Amino acid sequence: MATPGKAIDPIHQFEVTPIIPIRIGGLDISFTNASLWMIVVLLASLGLMVYGTRKKSLVPDRLQAAAEMTYEFVASTVRGSAGREGMKFFPFVFSLFLFVLFSNMAGLIPGSFTVTSQIVVTFTFALLVILTVIIYGVVRHGTHFLHLFVPSGVSPALLWFVTLIEVISFLSRPISLSVRLFANMLAGHITLKVFGGFVTMLLGAGAFAALAPLPLLGVIAIYALELLVAVLQAYVFAILTCVYLNDAIHPGH
Amino acid sequence: MTNSGGGKDDDEALRRRLDRLSSRLDERNTRPDRNGDEVDVSASSTSRALSLGMRVLSEFVGGVIAGGGVGWLLDKALSTGPLFLIVFIGLGTATGFWNVYRMAAGSTGARGNSSNDARK
Repeated sequence: MATPGKAIDPIHQFEVTPIIPIRIGGLDISFTNASLWMIVVLLASLGLMVYGTRKKSLVPDRLQAAAEMTYEFVASTVRGSAGREGMKFFPFVFSLFLFVLFSNMAGLIPGSFTVTSQIVVTFTFALLVILTVIIYGVVRHGTHFLHLFVPSGVSPALLWFVTLIEVISFLSRPISLSVRLFANMLAGHITLKVFGGFVTMLLGAGAFAALAPLPLLGVIAIYALELLVAVLQAYVFAILTCVYLNDAIHPGH
Repeated sequence: MTNSGGGKDDDEALRRRLDRLSSRLDERNTRPDRNGDEVDVSASSTSRALSLGMRVLSEFVGGVIAGGGVGWLLDKALSTGPLFLIVFIGLGTATGFWNVYRMAAGSTGARGNSSNDARK
């Protein structure tokens, strides 16, 4: 690097820094850049739904059309993978979807902070989903919920093994749900930063500056891919939530 | 508010048009391949492949981590060296393969047959 103190650091963007330091009884509850962007995301999703549907006109304007399309899309996802009964979880899935979608999107604004690139955030969401599944499943079905772990049509000799595997598989769900979202956002943003770093490094490398547009094109392509990934991961998060909720509604056969 | 100058003919024509439109709408909605699923983001094959690939990876890694976690906790509770950690990492790897197999077989589980019909 040309200037030692000013190295290009692709991890720097994920640093949580306090904006307003608050300490209560030894607990650090500072208002950080993460909190700021969570509020931004919350206001943006609220804005889309509340401001977008304020007129309730028969012929929707652009914002209302966007709000209605999001609603219809999530509703059909929930109905498709968790059945009609799953619609009682629609507000839950819809809020999750909107929050994840908007934080992924807001993270793509240069200089912003990606809330979903922190595993604490995504794991909290995944725990929320799994705890909902467990609590609803037990309340609704009692011990019958445990049939989730005992597949039918397996020979008795293998049953204990398959059941053990099913239990571990259930435990792996919150992990895979959270790691997927977090890893996607983290990897994408690091790649963007690294390619951006290539541009500046090449510009400072004398004659090689002629090559600088190449990584710049790469950044543009990756940015387009990241837009796709941002929407896709929000969708995958929502649909897997529905699949897991479906298990709570209909465990076993 | 209809135009008073139009009279009965316009009303008649309008009603017929509305009937035709609603019957066409019904036909569209009841067609088997068009029940609202089609509007999803995963419609294009690239994005579907992308999301499937990421799912396979995370399901596998999740299985191994969950198995290792259970083994580590058991070891900590029973203070039995690395015994359970080793056993459960093996089981976790098996779970990872099992998760991936289930996805590849087009099912969310031995019991999830009904849900997987709905999701194609």
